[in-house]
Amino acid sequence: MSALDRLVRLHDLDLLRQQVMDGAAASRLAALGFGTADPAPLARARQRLAGHVDARWLGIYERAHGRYGRGLAAVRGRVCQGCHITLPTAALPAPDSPKMCESCGRILCWR
Amino acid sequence: MGIATIVPAVSQRALCIPDLGPRKRDAALQLMLAHARASGALREADSVFDALLLRERLGSTGVGKGVAVPNARALAVLEGRWVLARSERGIDWNSPDGLPAHLVLLVLSAPETPMIAHVESVARAMTLTRLARARARLLEARGAEEMAAIVQQVMP
Repeated sequence: MSALDRLVRLHDLDLLRQQVMDGAAASRLAALGFGTADPAPLARARQRLAGHVDARWLGIYERAHGRYGRGLAAVRGRVCQGCHITLPTAALPAPDSPKMCESCGRILCWR
Repeated sequence: MGIATIVPAVSQRALCIPDLGPRKRDAALQLMLAHARASGALREADSVFDALLLRERLGSTGVGKGVAVPNARALAVLEGRWVLARSERGIDWNSPDGLPAHLVLLVLSAPETPMIAHVESVARAMTLTRLARARARLLEARGAEEMAAIVQQVMP
């Protein structure tokens, strides 16, 4: 699994964690018939996954995640979907390795 | 973009699979994701599959009465999509009532979708199968087009 693959999974895990830890979302889902989810296994899974991410990229991810709620942003048509800035033409697509948006600091996913 | 605009747009693009071949949950999810990817809703399916499995590990998304509603908000989702699949033989989804899932509603949301909008998309998808009559109609539909027509009729 590439560094970017691990970051994508960390990002998706964090989205799920936000949902599980949000009181309103958890009550709504419980009312719909879903069982109450325990956030503890997610925290453990996050710790395991983060342990396999390069420290530099993990730091960048955590900083952006702390600031915006999401540490990764997809790129569509050269536009960062986090801050919606058009990336400079010098920024080459990197489908398998992480790159950082120079504007917002999120890690870019070019796939 | 508000919840009111996101959710109806998703229901109008629902994909329907009238005969879900696999009898195992994971294989069924992979097949449904392949349909979603073929429709252009996903960049890639592997990470979304992992997100769905993670969600299942927290607790089954089988809600009983033969219905399962796996769901995920994930980076690889390009646009919100519902995939409604029917399994004649049923799939063990570890539902609270112990019944196999005959209707599987996969709810996918793009990462930019607000969390509460994703939850509402799940809630709205579940209105499709809340009434016994609607479930029966979906199970008796003669193909994907008829299932899609029922989705359009049932959604308020």
